[in-house]
Amino acid sequence: MLEISSTPLVIIAILGTIGVILPIISIARKETGSNSFYAVIAFAALIVSIGYVAYQFVTEHVLPSALFSEDVLVDDAFGGFFAIAMLIVAIFTTVGSFNYMRKQNHPAVYYSLILLSTIGMVLVAYSTDLVMLFVAWELMSIPTYVLAGFMKRNPSSNEAALKYFLFGALSSAIIVYGISISYGLTGSTNIGEVIQGYSTLDPSFLPLALLSVGLFIAGFGFKMGLVPFHMWLPDTYEGAPTPITTLLAAGTKKAGFAAAIRIIILGMVALNLDWTLALGIIAVMTMTIGNIAAIMQKNLARMLAYSSIGHAGYILIGLAVAPFSSMGIQGSMYHILNHAVMKGAAFIAVGGIVTTLAVTNLDKLKGLGRRMPITSLGLVISLLALAGVPPLNGFWSKLMLFGGALDASSSLSWAPWLAIAGVLNSALSLAYYGWIMRKMYFEGETEKRVSEPKSVIAVMIFSMIFMVALGVYPDPIIKFVEMASPTIGLGITP
Amino acid sequence: MATEALGLPFEVGAASAWLVWILPFIAALIMPGIGKLSKNTTGYVAVGFALMSALSAASMLPMALEAHEIHDQVMWIESIGLKGGVLADPLSIIMANVVGWISFLIMIYSTGYMKGDKDITRFWFWMMFFIGSMQLIVLSDNLLQVFFGWEGVGLASYALISFWYRDKKKDHVGTEGRTVLGLLDYYAPTHAGMKAFIMTKVGDVMMIAGMLLIFLFAGTFGFRELMDDHTWATAMSAQGLLVPAFVLLFGGAIGKSAQFPLNEWLLEAMTGPTAVSALIHAATMVKAGVFLVARIGPLVFALGAAGILADQFFEIVAWVGAITALLLATQGMVNPEIKKVLAYSTGSQIGYMMMALGVAGLSHQYVDGYTAGFFHLISHAMFKASLFMAAGSLLHIVGSRFMTDMGGLRKHMKKTYAFMWAAGLGLMGAPFITTGFWSKDAIFAAVYESGSEWALPIFAIAVLTAVITAFYTTRMIGMVFYGKKSRHIEKMEEEGHHIHEASLSMWVPYGILAVLTIGIGLIGFSAEGGIHHLFAEYLDHTFGIHTAHVESGDSFLPAPLDGLNPVALGSSLVAFSIGIGLGYVFYIGRWVDPVKFVNSNIFFYAIHKVILNRWYLNAIIYWCFVVAPLWLSRGIFRYFEKTAIDYGMNNGFQKAVGWGAKVVQGTQTGVAQSYLFVFGAGLLFVVLILLI
Repeated sequence: MLEISSTPLVIIAILGTIGVILPIISIARKETGSNSFYAVIAFAALIVSIGYVAYQFVTEHVLPSALFSEDVLVDDAFGGFFAIAMLIVAIFTTVGSFNYMRKQNHPAVYYSLILLSTIGMVLVAYSTDLVMLFVAWELMSIPTYVLAGFMKRNPSSNEAALKYFLFGALSSAIIVYGISISYGLTGSTNIGEVIQGYSTLDPSFLPLALLSVGLFIAGFGFKMGLVPFHMWLPDTYEGAPTPITTLLAAGTKKAGFAAAIRIIILGMVALNLDWTLALGIIAVMTMTIGNIAAIMQKNLARMLAYSSIGHAGYILIGLAVAPFSSMGIQGSMYHILNHAVMKGAAFIAVGGIVTTLAVTNLDKLKGLGRRMPITSLGLVISLLALAGVPPLNGFWSKLMLFGGALDASSSLSWAPWLAIAGVLNSALSLAYYGWIMRKMYFEGETEKRVSEPKSVIAVMIFSMIFMVALGVYPDPIIKFVEMASPTIGLGITP
Repeated sequence: MATEALGLPFEVGAASAWLVWILPFIAALIMPGIGKLSKNTTGYVAVGFALMSALSAASMLPMALEAHEIHDQVMWIESIGLKGGVLADPLSIIMANVVGWISFLIMIYSTGYMKGDKDITRFWFWMMFFIGSMQLIVLSDNLLQVFFGWEGVGLASYALISFWYRDKKKDHVGTEGRTVLGLLDYYAPTHAGMKAFIMTKVGDVMMIAGMLLIFLFAGTFGFRELMDDHTWATAMSAQGLLVPAFVLLFGGAIGKSAQFPLNEWLLEAMTGPTAVSALIHAATMVKAGVFLVARIGPLVFALGAAGILADQFFEIVAWVGAITALLLATQGMVNPEIKKVLAYSTGSQIGYMMMALGVAGLSHQYVDGYTAGFFHLISHAMFKASLFMAAGSLLHIVGSRFMTDMGGLRKHMKKTYAFMWAAGLGLMGAPFITTGFWSKDAIFAAVYESGSEWALPIFAIAVLTAVITAFYTTRMIGMVFYGKKSRHIEKMEEEGHHIHEASLSMWVPYGILAVLTIGIGLIGFSAEGGIHHLFAEYLDHTFGIHTAHVESGDSFLPAPLDGLNPVALGSSLVAFSIGIGLGYVFYIGRWVDPVKFVNSNIFFYAIHKVILNRWYLNAIIYWCFVVAPLWLSRGIFRYFEKTAIDYGMNNGFQKAVGWGAKVVQGTQTGVAQSYLFVFGAGLLFVVLILLI
């Protein structure tokens, strides 16, 4: 049994309580305006949660990356790592919303939904049972359907929500189907037992097991934004309120990866499958299509949306080579954390620009460097970090990812091609990142400085420090990643 | 430690060695802040820090006289076991004092010379940075740290040579419109700074190559560590890499000290403020090369004594010095710009020093040449700093860099006139009363007595150079102070400008140095003996290079001059007399008009032209390394970049990506049904791949 003080339970308690109480308070106060009150409460709850996760790490109450447990949840380093990444994103979203939600109705509901969705994200990472995972998955997803359509008088927000919901429903169905097959084959929903069952499966059932894994890939791949399950993503990211896009791009997407590592990879190990080719092809397709589509975009949010598809491709490299190189899976996790901050910061910056200047078209960003210097600087640094320019943090995680691919080349002759594709794509991505920077700094002359939202500035400063400091001195994070990453291919049996 | 005998704890000595170079850097760092508060204060702060640095250097002098050394190390880069530190032995202590005190005087001078310049803060910043870098070179205990100072000096010189970056006409050097081999011989400050930076960089690259080569075998950059264990040298020698490594190191010295063939930057360096020129020529920069050779010379010699021969190194040093000495001295005879004459003279005198340091290694008495070279460095620092500062005063007051625009100034600027004569006599090597005489004579003797196969040709070059030196110095003084006033000055006076003496803060520094040139000159022989003794002990103690005691024998010279080499002394006297005599005939007595004289004879005319065109060396370098590469790069741009790269690759690639983007976007229809279709197809695709 889990102890009552274990991290997932405490987070459920904190965020759940606050998430439920917020709307009640708003009914009691009989007001709909003033969003900052609720924002501050939500922010405080998230800070306490992240503090608790960190505290558990510092006091060494965390199990080593176990991946399996007899319980439905496990309080291990792997889950803690993702919990930290998700909570950072949730904090970004909350702080970014301070300004964005200023003139919107129903702030209490809004923040409450963010908190509930955050619980779902965190629990996905901690789940060791398929049903638990599915429940967490839905807890994460359903609030975001509402949030994506929160601007209810805005048609594109509605379109975003609808498409997102449609695909979400489809993927949920697919996941449940996958779960049902695996239950039917192994008689259990505990991930450890499922995997053990798979490894001793009668060969005649193999196609069914494969189908279940394929269904999981498609189901989780929808959230991860893998090509060809990505079609909904640009439309939704563009239409949803920008802070929510942050939550989707940097948060729920990463939950997909957490689930993928827990289930897909292990399931494949158990089935003794050569899955590298499948994931490798998807990785290359994902990064290439994401980056190429981003190049011609005129809309900043949409460009970032495609870029985040591209990044899903990079992260997938690490998963593809996982059995041959421990550096690959570490690189993936490292990049997940980095991407959460980099992409989070970029979207918050865009949100700040949208609310302040009401423009998202690239051509209207001329001279932004003069108009909003701090936001622009934060955006530039996060774009450079996304492109993997040293000495920023993105460089190191990409280095580990591509290094992992090279590392695997001794057992996998085509693995270096993944690294080559990744490097070429990074170079390609600089083309559109550079385009944004050029618009902001080298065009336009007469712009005057406008006052930038303080909440955006706060996020910018935090993330700039994160990106630069951990780029210059990445050691602690790399150690953290090494500790939190599971050992794939060894100790399959629970 | 012996320093305890002086009542000083050991740490104090080490602390002063650190302070000598750290203080100027601190001054440089705080300078921008002070400049923000009050521009007038910057000068005082700079002078104050220069004084403190010089005093720190002076506090180490007792240790030098007792031939003790301070070697204080700290861990620098732990992962590769690299240590940094200071090494204060007699060589570096004396050098640090020369640098420190001359710089201090130049800083005082600068307060007058740069008065009212609106970029004064930048000036002080770079000056202090310059001094700090130089002292870092001097006091480093390893090659890598030297290299840091070395690059710092290069950077500071670049910034100071192009200090007047607005490239006004009056700040150029050369004669406007004059061409050599079709190239303009007229340079703007920014061009000059770049030229200095790039030409010295050629040497720097050689130096770092040499350093790393040695590090590869020895695993250390430390001077003392290299000396303590000879195995690395044996290994290098077995592969024939020892001499190349040392020669590469010397390449750095060639660049920094403006020796042939990297000498041409020194002339354009005259675009900087004159105080900068004084600093470059007397105390820092060009002396760095000599110091480096003095640093590694004993090591090479000691290796030779241990059977690991590297004589070629010394031969190259000696010959490069000799060639430079003559080559640049000749050009000093014809140039019309006063600062350029002095610049040529500097290169030539540095050549003397190199010559002495090189010849030292070829003789059995290493200490003779070593002392001679280093003593000449000290005396040159004094009189050259004095001459430059005096020249700066002239420029300041006359407003022209051409000596033809001066003339007849001796009545108006009596102090400058006197000091310039005194310092000029030092440069000429006026017998018995100037430091220049004693140091030059020591070089002559060292060359003559070295017993090397090259002794005689090098000696002949040295003497010929001495004649020329005396001639061009006399010419310079004659053109500036004697004869009639030039039209330029008459015009100035008509316009109401009063020709007057320089201000106090300006003439006092060069006055002091001029007086010292004569003053130390009067006791020069015993001063040289003192240094000789000191270095003999130092070399013996540190490098195990023994100095045989030489019986003075029965010389026919009078008692006070006992020990001088009669041939060297005689040549020195003759050279001085001929040089000053010829100079007097043309420029002071003005019995013969030099212009008519040169034009009277096709032979003289041709020689004059070749020399005035800098032996075509500068033009050839420009043709080979500036004009030709530019042509090449333009050709590549036109015929390759614009065609293959631009039309082929850039546009082609862009088009391909754009096409790809359109295709991808085409799939993004916005219609949810088609999205769902793709989703389903994808699922099928994944399962199929897994089944394969």
